[in-house]
Amino acid sequence: MGISKEELVEEIFQMVEKAHGKRKLKASDIWKDMIKKHPEVDKKIVQDAIKTLVDAGRCVYTYFGGSFVEIPHEEAAAKH
Amino acid sequence: MSKTPLLDQLESGPWPSFVTDLKRIAAKKPQVLDLLGQLERSYQEKITHWKHGGIVGVLGYGSGIIGRYSDLPDEFPGVEHFHTMRINQPSGWFYTTAALRQLCDIWDKHGSSVMNLHGATGDVIFLGCRTENLEPCFAELTAAGWDLGGSGSTFRSPSCCVGPARCEWSCYDTMEACYEITQEMQFDLHRPSYPYKYKIKFSGCPNDCVAAVARADLSVIGVWKDDIRVDQSAVQAYAGGELKPKGGGAHVDKLDVQADVVGLCPTYCMSYDGKTLKIDDRNCNHCMHCINMMPQALRPGTETGAAILLGSHAPILEGAQLSWVIQPFMVMESPYDEFKELNSRITEWWAEHGKNRERVGELILRLGMREFLEAAELPPAPQQVRIPRANPFFFWNQSDFDAEAKGRKYYQTEGFDVE
Amino acid sequence: MSERKTDIGPPHYEQFLPPIIKENYGKWKYHEIPEPGVLKHVSESGAELYSVRAGASRLISTDFVREVCDLADKFCDGYFRFTSRNNIEFLLTDKARIEPLKKDLKELGWPVGGTGHSVTSIIHTQGWVHCHTPAIDASGPVKAVMDDLFEYFGSHQLPAQVRIALACCINMCGAVHCSDIAMCGVHRTVPKIDHQKLRHLCEIPTTIASCPTGAIRPHPDKSIKSVVVNEPRCMYCGNCYTMCPALPCFDSEKGGVALLVGGKVSNAKSPPAFSRLAVPYIPNNPPRWPETVETIRKILIKYAEGANKWERLGEWIERIGWEKFFEVCDLPFTFQHIDDYKFQAYETYRTSMHFKF
Repeated sequence: MGISKEELVEEIFQMVEKAHGKRKLKASDIWKDMIKKHPEVDKKIVQDAIKTLVDAGRCVYTYFGGSFVEIPHEEAAAKH
Repeated sequence: MSKTPLLDQLESGPWPSFVTDLKRIAAKKPQVLDLLGQLERSYQEKITHWKHGGIVGVLGYGSGIIGRYSDLPDEFPGVEHFHTMRINQPSGWFYTTAALRQLCDIWDKHGSSVMNLHGATGDVIFLGCRTENLEPCFAELTAAGWDLGGSGSTFRSPSCCVGPARCEWSCYDTMEACYEITQEMQFDLHRPSYPYKYKIKFSGCPNDCVAAVARADLSVIGVWKDDIRVDQSAVQAYAGGELKPKGGGAHVDKLDVQADVVGLCPTYCMSYDGKTLKIDDRNCNHCMHCINMMPQALRPGTETGAAILLGSHAPILEGAQLSWVIQPFMVMESPYDEFKELNSRITEWWAEHGKNRERVGELILRLGMREFLEAAELPPAPQQVRIPRANPFFFWNQSDFDAEAKGRKYYQTEGFDVE
Repeated sequence: MSERKTDIGPPHYEQFLPPIIKENYGKWKYHEIPEPGVLKHVSESGAELYSVRAGASRLISTDFVREVCDLADKFCDGYFRFTSRNNIEFLLTDKARIEPLKKDLKELGWPVGGTGHSVTSIIHTQGWVHCHTPAIDASGPVKAVMDDLFEYFGSHQLPAQVRIALACCINMCGAVHCSDIAMCGVHRTVPKIDHQKLRHLCEIPTTIASCPTGAIRPHPDKSIKSVVVNEPRCMYCGNCYTMCPALPCFDSEKGGVALLVGGKVSNAKSPPAFSRLAVPYIPNNPPRWPETVETIRKILIKYAEGANKWERLGEWIERIGWEKFFEVCDLPFTFQHIDDYKFQAYETYRTSMHFKF
């Protein structure tokens, strides 16, 4: 048996957390990476895992000329 | 003394004034007073005073909200947060007053009362919501049956022309297709998973009233395959001046059928002997000119569907593109399975290979039409090109040799000859 | 907390269609335009639908929308729609109500027109009222141009329809690139970097990655923790400012308006076409942009005088040649007019002896 849904969600969260401040990840960066690591998962499974993280407020979608998946944080434009 | 002397100068003149309209709202909404104040400042300084916010949104969605912050929050605290909300419009932009009043009530309660009907992509736009009001506003919108539209690297809210609801030229049901595809794509509309934006527009005929060819990555433009329907007695009425060209929408009252219709046909496929208008329909390129000129005499045929074109976008980044034909004809009928499947093959291929901010039309130019067509499972067709290539730098794949060995042609009008 | 509703999509359009449309859906036979701003659609069944088209700002208030609703209740049993060019269409079944509706519209100051051979409403972007990268305002220049061309909104006197559009920067989010006449806001200077602010507000790797032409590099002095812009590569798109508010790309003095002309989306006679550069720069002159307004009028008048009937603006230019267009409109031809951007440039160069002096 491969990775469980809960484990996949945590692994994605860690990937996003690790990239925070260094590189903005697109949803496609995440599913490409996860599919490479876990051949049994497909794009849809990864997208649903990202949805789980976003619905729980642990990750957010952001838009800066392209859309990304990030850890929630105060945005630069909101600061004076 | 007025605080907005420059904007005040936009209150005169015959065209309706947005300044006058906003001023009456400013009497009730302090944030609109600040909006006018900041706008006046932009008019003085000739620069914008907005900053882009990329994080605010409603829980679970990555689209529908565009963050805006003033860079003069101390002077204009009412517009410190002034986010945009995009609300997915109904097909064809039809409304009842009850529905639109309800939207106004929601927006008066949670936001600035300033809006656009409609934004460039087609959504209802609410301009000016504070961060803490986004969720309550969204909750009321969904309770009333409305949802947010697309923004960011998503499937954007599709839009369509008025279609069969009020047009005799529509070659398929643009309103229904738009609604069904929008519903089908809800996950991708609200959760950005594409390299960049992706738009679909549905036009019912080659007049393309929603500018699908220029403004949508996937442009669905109605067309007919059979003969233009002709009412010869109505042609006579145009020739005799009883009927006006373009239904009366032109600057001339009487049509010269020979000069204005036959003589301007781009394919020279018509003739008129003073009695009968003849059309060589096999050589008609469906430009709509003759039909536009004589709407009471000519109509599109009855074997109808749509041409599928792909690739258009505004100039960022490789220069503007118009969509080009990828499938010359598709029957467009509910549940639109053939269309949905093609759309899915296109977006899957693009999501796999596209770089951040690369539109699908740009990706095709980077990787080549053949790679795209094979991924989309579309056969080559002469309608896809204006002219064939002039250079001899074409390549051969093993699949071509295999087809050759089996005695097949590379080009077929039916089916896809690559295994 | 009650369960959140998501992904319901837009309401089904059918509930917004007036009975006459439901009954005659897909059965329309022909249409007429009995007068500017009034469309008459006739069904196979003989039913007649009248649409009265009124122009409005795109930037409006809920008060305005309620006024539209009041009129739609009074005259159209509560049914109306908007066009793809931000016009309002009141849908009537009783012909006798057209004149009273027009009278009410006149009292409210909403012009009737936008049909046939007119200059219909200008589609446009947000400008200074809501956008973070504009070079110009949008609603203001639109108001000024429509005031000036007002006579053409409510009449059918031009050789063909004329579609005007405005984008407040070169990102052209209004996709104005296929319009008869397009105003486009242009920045002409590279972003001004506030190094002090940048180090506190922005992520350097993502700021560098944001530049579509690769013009942004790390500051050579690592202690500054900022970036530098390779100026010749910058095309003023503002994407770096989207990512990082310490890189504003606007300039009070050097921003302005470019005019592009001759585009179209319809297939009638000639294929859809891009608008082409006619004027690379007109000073940014709020509140009424008089030089822009004047230049647009000049082009429109020369077109109206010179075009054959049924010729769109671009078709007229194509026939007389661009060299004649610049001569007739008295517009200077500059280095900026000659394309040197990427793959589309070569196909704009003249490779024949077919030109005029």
